Amino acid sequence: MSLWVDQYRPRTLDDLHYHPELSARLRSLAASGDFPHMLFYGPSGAGKKTRIACTLRELFGPGVEKLKIDQRVFMTPSKRKLDVNIVQSNFHIEITPSDVGIYDRVVIQEILKEIAQTQQVDLSAKQRFKVVIINEADSLSRDAQAALRRTMEKYMSNMRVILCANSTSKLIAPIKSRCLLIRVAAPSPEEMGVALARVAKKEKFDLPDEAATQIVSDAAGNLRKAILILEALKMQSPDLTSNISVAKPDWETYCIKVADLILQEQSAQRVMLVRGKLYELLSHCIPPTTILKTIASHLVDRVDESLKADIMHWAAFYEVRMCTGSKKIFHLEAWVVKVMSLYKHFFYGIDMPDDFEI
Amino acid sequence: MSTSGSVEVLQPRVDKPFRFTSNGLLSESASNNDTLVEIPSIAQGERDRAEDMSNPTPTSRPSLTFASNGLLGLSSQMSTGESSGAPLLEEAQPRAHDTPDAGVSAEPTLIPLHPSSKLSFGTSSLLSSVTPPESSAGASLKFGFSTLMSTESHDTLPEPSTSSLAFKSSGLLSQAAGSSSTNDTSDLMEADDDLPTLSQLVPRAQPNKALPTYLHRPPIRATTFDGRNISFARRRKLESVVPTQNQMPSGGTSTLLEVPIHRMLDQLALSAASTDDSAYAGVAQVDTHQTTSQSRMWVDRYRPKQFVDLVGDERVHRETMTWVKEWDQCVFNRKKQKGRKRTWGDEDGEDRGTDEWGRPYEKLLLLSGPPGLGKTTLAHVVANQAGYSVLEVNASDSRSGSIIDERIKPALDAGRMIGATKPVLVVIDEIDGATGENTGSFINRLIQLATEKPKRKARHGEKRDPKEKKPLLRPIICICNDLWATPLSRLRSHARVVRFNPALPTLLVKRLRDICSLEGLPAESRALTNLVAVCKGDMRGCLNTLQFIHRKCQTVCEQTVRLATAGIKENESTTQDVWNDLFVPMAKRRVKELGLTEVDESKYVGRLSRLVGGTGNTDKIVIGCFEHYANLHQYDPTFQRYEGALEWLGTYDGLSSRMRSEQEYALLEYLPYAVVPFYHLFAATTNPKVERPKADWECHVKTKANEEIYTALASSALGQGGRVTPGHRYLFNRPVLQTEFIPLLNRIISPPLRPVHSQVIKPEEKALLKRLVDIMVSFELQFLQEKTEEGQMVYRLEPPIDVFVTYDEKRAADIAVSRYAIRHMVAMEIDAQLAVRQAEAVEKTKTDKMASFFGTKKTQSDPDGHPRKKQNTGKVDLADMPPTDFFGRLVVRPPPSSSGPAATGSEEASGEKVYRIAYRFNEGMSAAVRRPVKVASFL
Repeated sequence: MSLWVDQYRPRTLDDLHYHPELSARLRSLAASGDFPHMLFYGPSGAGKKTRIACTLRELFGPGVEKLKIDQRVFMTPSKRKLDVNIVQSNFHIEITPSDVGIYDRVVIQEILKEIAQTQQVDLSAKQRFKVVIINEADSLSRDAQAALRRTMEKYMSNMRVILCANSTSKLIAPIKSRCLLIRVAAPSPEEMGVALARVAKKEKFDLPDEAATQIVSDAAGNLRKAILILEALKMQSPDLTSNISVAKPDWETYCIKVADLILQEQSAQRVMLVRGKLYELLSHCIPPTTILKTIASHLVDRVDESLKADIMHWAAFYEVRMCTGSKKIFHLEAWVVKVMSLYKHFFYGIDMPDDFEI
Repeated sequence: MSTSGSVEVLQPRVDKPFRFTSNGLLSESASNNDTLVEIPSIAQGERDRAEDMSNPTPTSRPSLTFASNGLLGLSSQMSTGESSGAPLLEEAQPRAHDTPDAGVSAEPTLIPLHPSSKLSFGTSSLLSSVTPPESSAGASLKFGFSTLMSTESHDTLPEPSTSSLAFKSSGLLSQAAGSSSTNDTSDLMEADDDLPTLSQLVPRAQPNKALPTYLHRPPIRATTFDGRNISFARRRKLESVVPTQNQMPSGGTSTLLEVPIHRMLDQLALSAASTDDSAYAGVAQVDTHQTTSQSRMWVDRYRPKQFVDLVGDERVHRETMTWVKEWDQCVFNRKKQKGRKRTWGDEDGEDRGTDEWGRPYEKLLLLSGPPGLGKTTLAHVVANQAGYSVLEVNASDSRSGSIIDERIKPALDAGRMIGATKPVLVVIDEIDGATGENTGSFINRLIQLATEKPKRKARHGEKRDPKEKKPLLRPIICICNDLWATPLSRLRSHARVVRFNPALPTLLVKRLRDICSLEGLPAESRALTNLVAVCKGDMRGCLNTLQFIHRKCQTVCEQTVRLATAGIKENESTTQDVWNDLFVPMAKRRVKELGLTEVDESKYVGRLSRLVGGTGNTDKIVIGCFEHYANLHQYDPTFQRYEGALEWLGTYDGLSSRMRSEQEYALLEYLPYAVVPFYHLFAATTNPKVERPKADWECHVKTKANEEIYTALASSALGQGGRVTPGHRYLFNRPVLQTEFIPLLNRIISPPLRPVHSQVIKPEEKALLKRLVDIMVSFELQFLQEKTEEGQMVYRLEPPIDVFVTYDEKRAADIAVSRYAIRHMVAMEIDAQLAVRQAEAVEKTKTDKMASFFGTKKTQSDPDGHPRKKQNTGKVDLADMPPTDFFGRLVVRPPPSSSGPAATGSEEASGEKVYRIAYRFNEGMSAAVRRPVKVASFL
């Protein structure tokens, strides 16, 4: 028994009910016998991985669904051991190199070489090559990407690479040029509604329209999230009455609280209070970028028009610093203080020196 | 003759060893005597000399020979170059040439040479220019030139202090000394009178006894071949010895040269033996002190010799002494209150009580404290006082387990060192300083040594097994600076720890003042107080500084102290100190101590960055600053300062991250500068003290714990052979997991259930419960029963993913807190479900095995209803064929029932019935197919 989100995941390209032109294209690619490297990109929850799985099934038949999960140990040059979970079938292998952080290059090199240097032994296989799926390719380090580019060309006869990323901007150009880029757009609200209705039908319950609309608007194009919300709602209030409210994730609620705190008062005490809250968020493993983004978007909703641009500007500024630095809390707090200062100056009409430097 | 040979070299430091051929310069008749006298260094020579002074024995001959011959050689260059020894002289010249090279240049100020003294050289002029003040002229005649003690040259010495230096060093305490030196002597005596407590420390000069017996013999000057001047102090000479000259043939240089050197040496030895020893004994102590005053470090000279001389924390001293005394019963076999009962020794082999050796509970003593407080001194003093001889092992020795076996263990086993009469006490100095690979084994071996006990006592007369473990029977004192050094962690529990604290400044100042007055160094009390404060109680540092000042012939005033202590202790500061320095401006007192001017004080960047860099833990400093700055109640309406501070923090983070990730350690030196601006931004005298930062660490710990939960959840879902549908793997990408999945999963697993018995539950609730249990089982979530501190039973979610909906200790409002009864019910259901699954898995593997054994293949279906496809086409063909048994007969089986966990059990059971017949057929026929069968399968 599994969650609906997995249970009602489409298994074949025919089952996919939105982006039909994309499905047709994938089907023809799989049939052509000249399958390229591919890069699927698109927002989270749009159905990239589902489409990859369907394509694989199209390529190799239902054998790709016979999966086994291996735990492999890799050794870094500094003799550190890395445990990596690898999902594989006889025809493909799936890795998430970002699990091992900066050591992803080691994993990429080892696995790709291993795959590339062994030919498909199963004579009954439909294709002569194996497929390597690299999840979260946009968080690959530069080293790992560089390690990838040569292997992609060299072992083309034995192996195809399918990358899966949220955005292509973090991938280096040589990789992008070696792949066929396939954009998987988020489904439209109507398409999401259809998907939800299908789940409800299979589970044999009625989904009220208001609830569906609510869920769709809350999921914001993320179908996975929508189905998870649906299941959560169904569990919590089985009758799905019309006055249901979709709960925001807790961290988001908390971020809104922080945004309120920033706007209510600007003082040293408040800085300390906000810092405590930020620490709380960070310790719950919420990515700092997400924290900054969420708080900023809620702040922008509430402040005067003239401040919005500044707040976003500084949010972007400190996000860059946060990515290059390692002490996230410094930059988060720096941004908070900056916003407080901006707000205070705006509120009390204090002139800001243009180029304020310490 | 005896003393005439003992001319001394005044220059204290000559690095090169130098040699003289002894014979050639004197006469041909001494040619069989051409031994090379080698003196490795003057330091060595001086030690020898010090011994010579106190007990003139024949053993001191080499150095004497050297001195006399050296002079002869020099003089020969001047005057007797054309004498018979000319060819050999040629050989000697370059060597003599080398000698003053180092000597004179090392101490240019020591004896300023008067031009006239140069002129007074040469044999012929020497004799004429000699103004013999005493009756020792005969002695001088023997070497022809030795009494070069022109009072005239003495008077022309420009500086009184210098002359006193020369005077002291040569050990002359005669009345015939120049007027300046007499003053000095009286100074010295006065100083002694002031300080009765130091009587032990510095042996008092005894002028009354010594004065009349000495001759006034100023140093000898000589000019080397290349025109450089050197000067030799002369050994002081007792009047009583003077008559010995009569035994010698007297005459000028020429007659002297006719006497073979070995004969002269013999006579010298004879006369030395006949000299009244008591005449030396009385002055030996003074002598040692006086002659070595230039060469010895003050730290060594004023090292306390007795327990009462120790300065510092009395409690610490007593504690140490008490511990050492506790060994008395073991080592000396004496009880404290009673007298000694029996003597214990290796030879008598007397049995001692096996249960106790009279040792203190802790077999080791660990002295710890900052450097310079006198830990080593204390250990030595206490050991000596308690009657031990010390075996010291310090950082210069290698630190490995083997050194214990090789050096310490034998000494301990023997009870004493070779040739020593006292029992041994081992001092292991700087035990924390060694950071070698073998430190661990060293410490382990030490602990083993301290704790090991013999299995049984050797009986009287029984031969002892050499490998038998012996108990530790001698005390061991370990000394360290950092008590919390990692290698010592194990040692701490086995040792009695005595921690040193800096002594009271007043005590130290008093001791310093005493020493200054002994050395004739004018010192201001305030300057000394400053010195002690700057050194932070480091007595060694204070003394070295004072000696340094003394060497420069300065007086101890605040200015000189400041110059001399520039840089002392600046690099050692704790993080706490640095925080205080960053947030609080320097106190006026401290400013004065460091001797900074107004301008210096305002230039804080260099000073603070050095401080920050000196701690070596800039990260911690930065975290402390970050956690502290907003606590300062400072009026900052425009947030300018806060922004500035955070700007610098960001800069710091950028630099350090860059440094770490790119290994650009060149950036390291710039890191402290990112911290310094906090002084400019926030420093105020009213600032509260910086507390140890903890929020960041707490957050770090919590984050790690929560990441563990994620990992546990993900691995339980993925790692266990895919018990979870592999489709779930899409949910375990980090950002998805954290932001989407976990909050919703928490809601999914907390449905509104009523706590009723599962038998009377409503059908829709039953469905809900079933689904909940399925989901929880598939993610391996469990409710574990636990007892709280109040003794209440609770069910805890495991892995505790509910922490992710708990912020600020509060659960999200929309998630109902499930009650104990509900959790209990769910937990029961989960257990039941797990049991069913387990049984299923067992049955399935069995049936699989059985099916393959009989060559049958039944098309199975996943719990999810997806047909399993065999990739092997041949096998698929086989599966399409009707199932047959081992003998190829058709097996009639009911068709597989529909999917679903509830149905699987019955399916398996029905399948089991088919096999029951098969087994009955085989039963008892062959062991190959015998297997355990459940009773249930027969019913």
